[in-house]
Amino acid sequence: MPTALAALEEAYARSGAPAGNRPDGRAPVVGYVGSDLPVELLTAAGVHALRLTGDPGSGSAPGDRYLGRGVDPAARSVLTRLLDGSFGELDRVVVSHDCEASLRLFYALRELGRVEPGAGLPEAYLVDLRHLPHRTTTRYNRRRLGEFAARLETWTGRALDLAGAVAAHDERRRLLAAAAELRRTVPARLTGRQFLAVVNAALPVAEHVALLRRLLAEAGRLEEHPGRRVFLSGSDHDTPHVYEAVESEGQVIVGEDHSFGDLAVEGPVGAGGLDALAEHHHRGGPAAHRATAGERAAYAAAAVRRCRAELFVAYCRAGDEAPAWDFPAQRAALDIPAVLLERQEYGRVDLAALRKEHPCPM
Amino acid sequence: MSDVRTPGSTSRGVKSLATAAEAGAHQREWFADLRRRVAAGEPFALLNADVPHEIFRTMDIPYAVGQWWASLVAAKQRSGHYLELVRRRGYPDYSEQYNAVTLGAAFDPEPEAGPWGGLPRPDIIVGDASGDVTRKIFDLWGREPGVIFYPLESAAENEVPVNWWELMPHRWEQAVGPARLDLLTAELENLVRFLETTTGRRFSETRFREVLALVNEQEEWNRKARDLIARARPAPLGVVDSIPSVMLPQWHRGTEWARDIARRFYEEVRERVDSGHAACPGERARLMWIGRGLWYDMGFYQRFQEEYGAVFVWSMYLAVAADGYLRYGDDPMRALAARFAAFSDQLYTPPWSSEWYVKEARLHGIDGVVHLVSDDPRGSYFTARALEAAGFPVIEIHADNVDTRTFGDDVAAQVGRWLEDVVLT
Ligand code: SF4
Ligand code: SF4
Repeated sequence: MPTALAALEEAYARSGAPAGNRPDGRAPVVGYVGSDLPVELLTAAGVHALRLTGDPGSGSAPGDRYLGRGVDPAARSVLTRLLDGSFGELDRVVVSHDCEASLRLFYALRELGRVEPGAGLPEAYLVDLRHLPHRTTTRYNRRRLGEFAARLETWTGRALDLAGAVAAHDERRRLLAAAAELRRTVPARLTGRQFLAVVNAALPVAEHVALLRRLLAEAGRLEEHPGRRVFLSGSDHDTPHVYEAVESEGQVIVGEDHSFGDLAVEGPVGAGGLDALAEHHHRGGPAAHRATAGERAAYAAAAVRRCRAELFVAYCRAGDEAPAWDFPAQRAALDIPAVLLERQEYGRVDLAALRKEHPCPM
Repeated sequence: MSDVRTPGSTSRGVKSLATAAEAGAHQREWFADLRRRVAAGEPFALLNADVPHEIFRTMDIPYAVGQWWASLVAAKQRSGHYLELVRRRGYPDYSEQYNAVTLGAAFDPEPEAGPWGGLPRPDIIVGDASGDVTRKIFDLWGREPGVIFYPLESAAENEVPVNWWELMPHRWEQAVGPARLDLLTAELENLVRFLETTTGRRFSETRFREVLALVNEQEEWNRKARDLIARARPAPLGVVDSIPSVMLPQWHRGTEWARDIARRFYEEVRERVDSGHAACPGERARLMWIGRGLWYDMGFYQRFQEEYGAVFVWSMYLAVAADGYLRYGDDPMRALAARFAAFSDQLYTPPWSSEWYVKEARLHGIDGVVHLVSDDPRGSYFTARALEAAGFPVIEIHADNVDTRTFGDDVAAQVGRWLEDVVLT
């Protein structure tokens, strides 16, 4: 039997790929986009859920045309892949309003469905959760979550099992949090690239949970990864390309603040049904697109200490400018070297800037 | 929108509108008075364009509009200076320049050296949390001593009826949807309480209704002017003439002055139409400008008149005044929320934006569309697609509207070739 880590890596390699044989024959396949999409509801509805990711290696010309080149290239790539059928047959696409690029992706899907029905895109649905830390927003989100739950029941024709789904996702988050500790030890027992695989393995929740348990049981046999410990801040990484590039140079990414990494692990929702779920996703983690620079800096300071990082790298993709606004406050809050990599191409990273012994432009 | 004498109109000696001159003079007097009031200790609010100024008008809290200030800075060729101040603090100077230029004022060691004596330091900033960056920019400003940022949520809807311009004046509940209206109404009720608490000023419901009525009257005059211009041949005026007469009063909406000048603008247009005045004698092509105003080169809009007989008859500024603001109804706070809960969708989110541009192009008998595509505005492809599908030729030019550095030297030549090869054939 392969190790749990190998099985998780293998499932991660399948992420963003077609669902293959529909697990239970008739369950709708729902592709989703957005870090704050309430996936618990997808599980509760019994649909087969697939987080849609881009691919820096294939072109994105159709996505560029429909979204414009000012939009985060990850979203342009997702749209391109939707158009060319890379995700296989999807019954629906659900998009959350976690950032401007996702919102624009939703609008493009909605409008393409209206004016170019021949493009064959699945029907898109927006889950408009917002993030100002105010009660007005809490109430708004609760309403939107209720609408989404009702819509899912219409799609599947059956009632949601919310309590069961929340418990399953909470257990997954608990195990992921334990896995995150394996990476934080010195030396790290997981690389950043491996942690991405552990978090984003394309698996139904129950299978994912089983593998995570095995991973933790096998922790003693994991390799050690010495090397300069890097905290990666900024843009989302829906693919491993940047992690692989950074870690190919003897560094290890021991923490990050985006939704495919440590921020996916925050929880639990606990009991309480839709109210608690709405509050959980309202709070979210301090992702670059919804938190203030001050919140991001406070998180960075605590997270860097927790994972004992030696270098802070703020990575901003071209077309994803929000993280660049956080950097001055983050740097001021840190007591380790901090470097800003701006306008990076999708899937690539300017390694020359990281190779310098004194990387900060001071 | 800062001064009224545009580079283009003075150098060509085209007589500009009296209302444009008056609006420009008024703007200077208003700003001088604002500076006096703030110096005397009154609170000062800096507001984004798409937030409900009407509340500040009602409470008589002095305010200025961030986008107006950015356009003034751009017209004075000073954007680079403010973006440099932003960059020196370590922030990007290539991101959301419309707001970043204004943030630069907060970092200016010599604020009084700014245009018109400089922007006073705001006590209160209100902006909506649209995009990924706007809230961050104003939040950073809100960390400066004595400044409070009050953000408003920016919410979106799944399904909307297409014909918003027909629904908005009276049936806005149907156009915008109750979720967004409930949200913004609640935020505005809270805003009033916040302002009462921090400024000590009172909110009068009677005054509020007066202000809202004045706004509707003003926009109705703009609507009449738009309808007149759409039908008139030849075009009685171009967009350079109409923009100051519409936009400066727009920043003063809710005052009698703004309502009255909107009426006089209509009357001026009427006189020009009655006397057969042509903005562009020998008019051969009627052009539509889609996108924000090119504040650093307003002469651009008149550059194609003499050689090609091509006149820009349409910009969003008058058209959105005509269609985008009117809101009637018995519940004034909800009606006000309805003005702003989906304001920018009217201009940037398909199908609202795309179908509206087509409707306006038809109404104005447009021959060609010049589309300014900056990095941030949304839905460009669908706008161009809808216009082309409806038979209107479109040329896209790529630049930012306040950041001169992004404007290529060859844009005018490209547009000229397109006029020759496509529009005028
Ligand atoms: S420049 Fe060198 S010494 Fe200075 S903070 Fe960066 S790494 Fe440390
Ligand atoms: S050129 Fe533009 S900015 Fe300058 S006065 Fe005219 S309208 Fe205002």
